[in-house]
Amino acid sequence: MADSQDIQTATTSIVTDAQPDSKTRRYDRQLRLWAASGQSALEDAHILVISGTATSTSILKNLVLPGIGKFTILDHAKVTPEDAGNNFFLEGPSSVGKSRAEEAVRLLGELNESVIGTADTSNVEELLEKNPAYFSSFTVVIVHNLEPKLLDKLSTFLWSDDSLPPLFVIRSAGFLAEFYIQFHEHTIIESHSETAPSLRIDKAFPALLEYSLSLDFTKMDPTDHGHIPYVIILVRALEDWKNSHQGKPPQTYAEKKEFKAGVLAMKIKADEENFDEAESQAYRCWADTGVPSDIAALFQDPQLAALKPASPPFYHLLSALQKFTLEPPHTLPLTSTLPDMKASTNSYIHLQKLYKTRAEEEKTHFKSFLTVPIDDALVDSFVKNAHGLKILRGKKWGALDADPTSLGNALTSSPKQTAIHLSLSALSSLNVKQPGIAPTIEALTTEAQALLPAGNALPDDFPDAVGEIARAPTADLPNTAALLGGLVAQEVIKVITKQYVPIASCCTIDLVETWTGVI
Amino acid sequence: MATSSQSTDWQGRYYHIDQVLDKPGPRTDPGFLAGDGVKDFLRNQAKILVIGAGGLGCEILANLALTGFKDIHVIDMDTIDISNLNRQFLFRPKDVGKPKATVAAEFIMNRVPGVTVTPYFGKIQDKDDDYYMQFNLVICGLDSVEARRWMNATLVNLVDPENPESLKPLIDGGTEGFKGQARVILPTITSCYECSLDMLNKPTAFPICTIANTPRLPEHCIEWASVLEWPRVQGDKKLDTDDPEHIGWLYTIASARANDFNIEGVTWSLTQGVVKNIIPAIASTNAIISAACCNEAFKIATSSAAYLNNYFMLIGTDGVYSYTFEHEKRDDCPVCGGESLELSISSDFTVEQLIELLVEKQDIQIKKPSLSTPTSQLYLQAPPQLEEATRPNLTKRVSELVPPEGEVTVTASTLPFSLSLRISYT
Ligand SMILES: [Zn+2]
Repeated sequence: MADSQDIQTATTSIVTDAQPDSKTRRYDRQLRLWAASGQSALEDAHILVISGTATSTSILKNLVLPGIGKFTILDHAKVTPEDAGNNFFLEGPSSVGKSRAEEAVRLLGELNESVIGTADTSNVEELLEKNPAYFSSFTVVIVHNLEPKLLDKLSTFLWSDDSLPPLFVIRSAGFLAEFYIQFHEHTIIESHSETAPSLRIDKAFPALLEYSLSLDFTKMDPTDHGHIPYVIILVRALEDWKNSHQGKPPQTYAEKKEFKAGVLAMKIKADEENFDEAESQAYRCWADTGVPSDIAALFQDPQLAALKPASPPFYHLLSALQKFTLEPPHTLPLTSTLPDMKASTNSYIHLQKLYKTRAEEEKTHFKSFLTVPIDDALVDSFVKNAHGLKILRGKKWGALDADPTSLGNALTSSPKQTAIHLSLSALSSLNVKQPGIAPTIEALTTEAQALLPAGNALPDDFPDAVGEIARAPTADLPNTAALLGGLVAQEVIKVITKQYVPIASCCTIDLVETWTGVI
Repeated sequence: MATSSQSTDWQGRYYHIDQVLDKPGPRTDPGFLAGDGVKDFLRNQAKILVIGAGGLGCEILANLALTGFKDIHVIDMDTIDISNLNRQFLFRPKDVGKPKATVAAEFIMNRVPGVTVTPYFGKIQDKDDDYYMQFNLVICGLDSVEARRWMNATLVNLVDPENPESLKPLIDGGTEGFKGQARVILPTITSCYECSLDMLNKPTAFPICTIANTPRLPEHCIEWASVLEWPRVQGDKKLDTDDPEHIGWLYTIASARANDFNIEGVTWSLTQGVVKNIIPAIASTNAIISAACCNEAFKIATSSAAYLNNYFMLIGTDGVYSYTFEHEKRDDCPVCGGESLELSISSDFTVEQLIELLVEKQDIQIKKPSLSTPTSQLYLQAPPQLEEATRPNLTKRVSELVPPEGEVTVTASTLPFSLSLRISYT
């Protein structure tokens, strides 16, 4: 006991240093998802939200809480009694008559002192007319139920150059809603893929093979024998198998079964769990490690063929990766992360060292294919996450409605989702034609039919959707707003941090039957 | 109550909500009575209970208040911690240390005029059947499996077939990172929380021999510090995972061990994560799941649209993926099923091994179970005299004590129900 207390006293200073600061403690639960790199991307971001509706403030709430850098609400409207009834970031009747942007910014600001909020009471239409450059200074732009004419103008402007911010378009009425992200291109290194990279047991690197062959399993101390990591067991068993099978791994079902039985037969005691583990992981011996098909597909990307020094680092890294995979063993660079397995500390740490050393060598080799200087941390992250790389390409807002083929496909492949999308589109266009008049089911249906290419019928699910729209055409329901607030904020976070994978299409929401679905 | 809440309503207040209360939609049940009756029930009669005033609870309270529920009760036994502030939006830095239920209730009442939120700072187990009987609906926003099982079993037990009022719909939400689920449970009618226990992720457990003899991961070193070294060095002093000094001590001990074994990666954050079993949590996911729960509560209370049958699952890590399905009721569910659970074990199995199996089995997960047959006690965890008296049974074979197809009743102090097993031998 005395000993341990000495340790405790001796290391008190270390402990104090290690204890996280209050900011880290405040953000602990989210840093476990996107780490300091994601957090700093959020803190550098400036978000524009057009309108201070319940949906808009719900989205912002979920971005202010995790510590977005700045946000601006652009809204020239005054708070109405109707607004005051459904928006948590207004103070009931006492907010009525005041600027909706200012009230919302004040109350959202209370959620996080480190976030800077601005209320801009300019008129969106005038800004779009006189100073569209205003919209280019933000990280992302979010609009809720913006009237079609302005939305068209804004989306056209933000689409005009790929350096302009992504646009999040949200439309909702009653229990139904949809949102869309307009962006040119979104590349992801840290997709947080749930598939683990290959350990390359089928293509053991020289040091691994050598080590597994150097062990004399039969003369080993029984305790050590029960602690040989399964990776070593499999590499060894596979090598032995190949030597007696013309260099080929087990191929047929019978061979695989025989191989597994052979692995279990290597046990010297029945309770050696490491051999059980090896048997259950034996598929790794015949699962041919190559370049995963979705990564190979990225090598066909047009940006690679047109690579120039000024191309984004992602494509330089991708090009280097392609060159790397052209050489034997035609795989991605080796992972340095080993899963846990039954092993003694020494044998596990030794194996880990073999993987780390080899991974380091392969990374150096990978770097030799780079033709421009790239930050080491970025290279590390790219190599580490190579099995989960993604390139998303988006379309302009409205592209779906403008393209008869995609709309036709959407009607067939996702009729329920498309029914919601068409109903909301019909509502928007009808609101322009007959402002202030409650839309009827008939008028909405006519409008939706007109959106379809000739020869296409409205989906069977359309009446269910359009009926809900006609029921509550101007309702920004608190629960729908809150749900959209969460979904859209998740996507904004994914876009800004470049971690996890955002949608590259239209997401529709039905809160009658409680489902979401992408078109 | 009714008059006071009406007096705070202003013209236009429910402009948005009333659109779905004044008219049915195409899929609305014909039994829906649009108009004043349903509004009166929602705003003047419905009484709703929210369990938990944390990540989900804060959102749930705000949504319920905005949709027109005026008599809301909330139970939470926790106080506010700084790490709550990234998502529990009714709390401010000045509130750290105060009870969540009280602060949340006050905030809602200040922000949304005419709503009464009655907080209870304490445990759900403190309340009896009469208390739960007064509500029309219960929404659970908890992070504890134990508490959910207790609440679920309590509401199932409350059902009296003679009294329709005794059936309290339970809406349950849960999140982890970018993922979450919301479900509607109609006690005794639909699948209950216990029915779906096997859907839970299995908690990572490290075998004690790995921790003691062959550590390989930083987590093994941290477990060594907390499970073995803390009791050895600190004796009876209870480990408080919220105390930075305690975490600091574990971190130091774990780091030293990692160093001895050449293991990399012990950090303060990992130490805290392992010992507190921290689940990542963000505002946006909580918003989605809470909104889904409150939307179901609103639909059930108003019949304005059909409610969820019965499970909604969302995964936001790769695009937006969700799955809505009907989870099936289990006939051998110990809470709502009625039939005994068939369990086949080796005739060599000891009572101790049976207990281990019950703790680990994914669809049972009973911590510290006590076992009895209709005629005898196999093993009782408490009181101490009975524990001592039944302890010798631990090493006996089950087959010596229970005949084939014999019944074993399993109970645990944390659960308000017993599990009936039918044992067969292989
Ligand atoms: Zn059940």
